[in-house]
Amino acid sequence: MSRGHLQIIHPRQDIIAEPVILEVNGLVKRFTSDANEQISALKDLSFSVAQKELVCLLGPSGCGKSTLLKLLAGFIKPSAGKILLNGEPMHHPGPACCMVFQEDALFPWLTVRENIAFGLVNSPLSRRRKRQEVDRFIDLVGLSDFGDYLPREISGGMKQRVALARVLILQPRILLMDEPFAALDAQTREQMQSLLQELRRQFAPTILFVTHDVTEALLLGERILLFDKNPGRISHDIKVDLPKIRSINHEAFLRLRTRINDLLKKE
Amino acid sequence: MRTGRPNIWLRQSLPWVLPVFLLLGWHLLSHREMIPNYLLPHPQQVLVAGLDYILGDPQKGIYTGRFWGDFSASIGRVLLGFSLATAIGLPLGLLSGRLNSIQLLLGTTLNALRAVPGICWLPLALIWFGIGLKTTVFLVALAAFFPIFLNVEAGARQINPILTQAGTMLGMNRTRRIYRVLLPAAMPHIVTGLRLGMGVSWAYLVLGELTGVPNGLGAVIMDARMLGRNDIIIVGIILIALIGRLCDTGLHLLLRLFFKSARRLT
Repeated sequence: MSRGHLQIIHPRQDIIAEPVILEVNGLVKRFTSDANEQISALKDLSFSVAQKELVCLLGPSGCGKSTLLKLLAGFIKPSAGKILLNGEPMHHPGPACCMVFQEDALFPWLTVRENIAFGLVNSPLSRRRKRQEVDRFIDLVGLSDFGDYLPREISGGMKQRVALARVLILQPRILLMDEPFAALDAQTREQMQSLLQELRRQFAPTILFVTHDVTEALLLGERILLFDKNPGRISHDIKVDLPKIRSINHEAFLRLRTRINDLLKKE
Repeated sequence: MRTGRPNIWLRQSLPWVLPVFLLLGWHLLSHREMIPNYLLPHPQQVLVAGLDYILGDPQKGIYTGRFWGDFSASIGRVLLGFSLATAIGLPLGLLSGRLNSIQLLLGTTLNALRAVPGICWLPLALIWFGIGLKTTVFLVALAAFFPIFLNVEAGARQINPILTQAGTMLGMNRTRRIYRVLLPAAMPHIVTGLRLGMGVSWAYLVLGELTGVPNGLGAVIMDARMLGRNDIIIVGIILIALIGRLCDTGLHLLLRLFFKSARRLT
């Protein structure tokens, strides 16, 4: 698939200074290896994210970007440092900070509809309202005809649509996306990237998006945090200053891509 | 996916090929008296004995019409022992599969016990419980426990951690996660464990009933041996095979009826 014509319309061009929603302060994560050695996955990481921002975490594999996402989701605990959500420390994993995984993480025994409704059990909505909500989100991700299908009966791209709908329905304050489109073919990936921008227009969640694809980061991100090859550090914090309609043919786009590629090579 | 799937006609008929040939062979052997009748009775004789055993008037002979009494006694023992094994094996398997400490605590002991053939417990069971219901139920429960426990444990251990993470993330607390994520995700293994347990139950039922209980399908076989009624022995064997098979199918159907995950994943 040629990506020569690819362009994406960004929902937010003029970035107004939004309040900070997420603050990461001196975050350290060490693992103990099988040989009982201490391995530092993250070394003293600090940054903050403004509301509604889409920040791409870009870097080679093994640089600690997925570890950072797991820490933010609360699946693992930091060795030191603080994660503040709206100024308050985060404790448990929960719907405030939702993850879209790289691999298929749908419940294989539930239909598309049941997967999307899964998190609503805690919601105070009436049964009918819940049904309407689920219908609305199935429509939003374009799966109206597939509500009764099982995950094994739909394609990889459709699965990721379900994964998106199942967390968006809970209105998370932060959406964590761990290379969500990496396993998809080029054409499907483009569709998903457009869908993501479309959903941002409607819900304006704050998004942290892990990717190792420079083009994807430049198409989607408003900001790019570049991770060091020397693992566990952010080397550059790049503001993506591109027009509202982003096309990979634009001169500015290409310039920025070259710059980032150079930065990645240098390290 | 299977390759070279046979067509419908073949699929319907293939399972019957072997039984039909066995029956034909048996008929031939007995008919030409290549095997004397006191070793292997004629199929027709077995059929007559079987019909008499199931349908006859209980007043009229030793084995006549005894089936329903034996059947209800046996199936009661099987279900009791199997339920006991499930009640203990299922939760213990889940715990051991999910919590390393429990696995460390139980693993060695249970594996040592598993190495002991179930039949070794018979003498001890006879001393503890005497001849009858309790010994049989004990043997059945003990034998069915291991396949249930081991399969449930394997199922609980192999759950993709991403599914439990997704469950937590979507707002499930510990208890909810057990019912909404762990059990359904482990369901294929649970179904396997329960079906294997059910199969073993019938084997150990017969063992328990061979020790001289007055009724039950195993008891009938042993009784018939002493009276030289080998036709009844074969009737008993065939009935146990049929009922065992029906129990397995019934169990699978019930699980599929009550659990979405069993219906969709098995």
